[in-house]
Amino acid sequence: MNSAFLVIILALGWAGITGNFSGLNLLFGGLVGGVAILILRYSIHQQGALRKTAKILSLAALFFYELMASAIKVAVVVMHPNLKSALKPAIVAVPLTVKSDAEITLLANMITLTPGTLTVDIAEDRSVLYVHALAMDNDTALIADIDNGFEARIREVFK
Amino acid sequence: MSVVAFVDLCSLVALIILGLALLLSIVRIIIGPTLSDRVLALDMMTVVAMGFIGAVAIRTGLMLYLDIAIALALLGFLATVALARYILRRGLKVDASAMEAQ
Amino acid sequence: MIADIVLCLGGVLLILGAIFTLLAAIGVIRLPDLYTRMHAASKAGAVGGGLVLVAVALISMDVAVSVRALIGVLFLLLTTPVAAHLLARASYLAGYRADQSTVRDDLKTRLEQNSGS
Repeated sequence: MNSAFLVIILALGWAGITGNFSGLNLLFGGLVGGVAILILRYSIHQQGALRKTAKILSLAALFFYELMASAIKVAVVVMHPNLKSALKPAIVAVPLTVKSDAEITLLANMITLTPGTLTVDIAEDRSVLYVHALAMDNDTALIADIDNGFEARIREVFK
Repeated sequence: MSVVAFVDLCSLVALIILGLALLLSIVRIIIGPTLSDRVLALDMMTVVAMGFIGAVAIRTGLMLYLDIAIALALLGFLATVALARYILRRGLKVDASAMEAQ
Repeated sequence: MIADIVLCLGGVLLILGAIFTLLAAIGVIRLPDLYTRMHAASKAGAVGGGLVLVAVALISMDVAVSVRALIGVLFLLLTTPVAAHLLARASYLAGYRADQSTVRDDLKTRLEQNSGS
């Protein structure tokens, strides 16, 4: 049921990109989507994606809100007349609680696009993420912010 | 003022602003001082050029330009990835004096 | 009527996107070192480029073009942080040290420990 749903989504996406919603094109899109899912069937064993839609949407909403906030914050810093006083750069080690590759990738991407933080590196044992902060006043507050914001939401989505 | 004229004006203003941004990115590419800074500025320039092409698409009404913009974004990403690999391999030893000067 | 509102919104978004892109470029010029510049380029740049593409999607008034533009936005949001992360990591490992104003550097202590042991 789940993969049938995916095939329909992929067919619609195909029709959207090619700009042609005729029956034949939809069928072709479905065919290509089916082959793609057949190839990737060992990689996507995510069960109950529909059930989690609400959580994924809430994560996406939080992400877009934070993205706009971060762009505005960077804009304010950039236009600050006395740049040195507005900046307080630091590279902080943030302990990770999520473990799988997908979760870490998502978290690292989201950290990069949120206010004042940028992922620089990850420890070999995947326990620590090194985050560059534009203006760090308080390291515990920064770590708690990431932990309670995105990390908690990502854990919920992947649970 | 008609809506079409407003959109036309918006696209003109956007083109001027983006042209200024393009100029600033080029200044950073020229002054460096290290390879990493130049790669970053090049990445920035690709994004600006993408916005520029988007504005041109709106101004001319030719939506084919959108495909060019998306292809340019893809190209910029791949270029940055390749150059990052290159920096990792080669190091920044050549630029050490430039870093000191900074 | 609705078409007019959508067109006006598209025009405003276009200018907003252009302004964010300009601010990112100013940040790339003004900020002191690579890592802080990367903040400006990755965040303001992605938002600026994304807003321009959304404006194209609104003004085109065409489903096929809109879907393509939104896919372009998604692509931009996925690739910008990856590119920034790769470049930051490569530069750091290649020996690009952060500006003197940096108050703390946990990564440096780790690298020193690794080379010491």
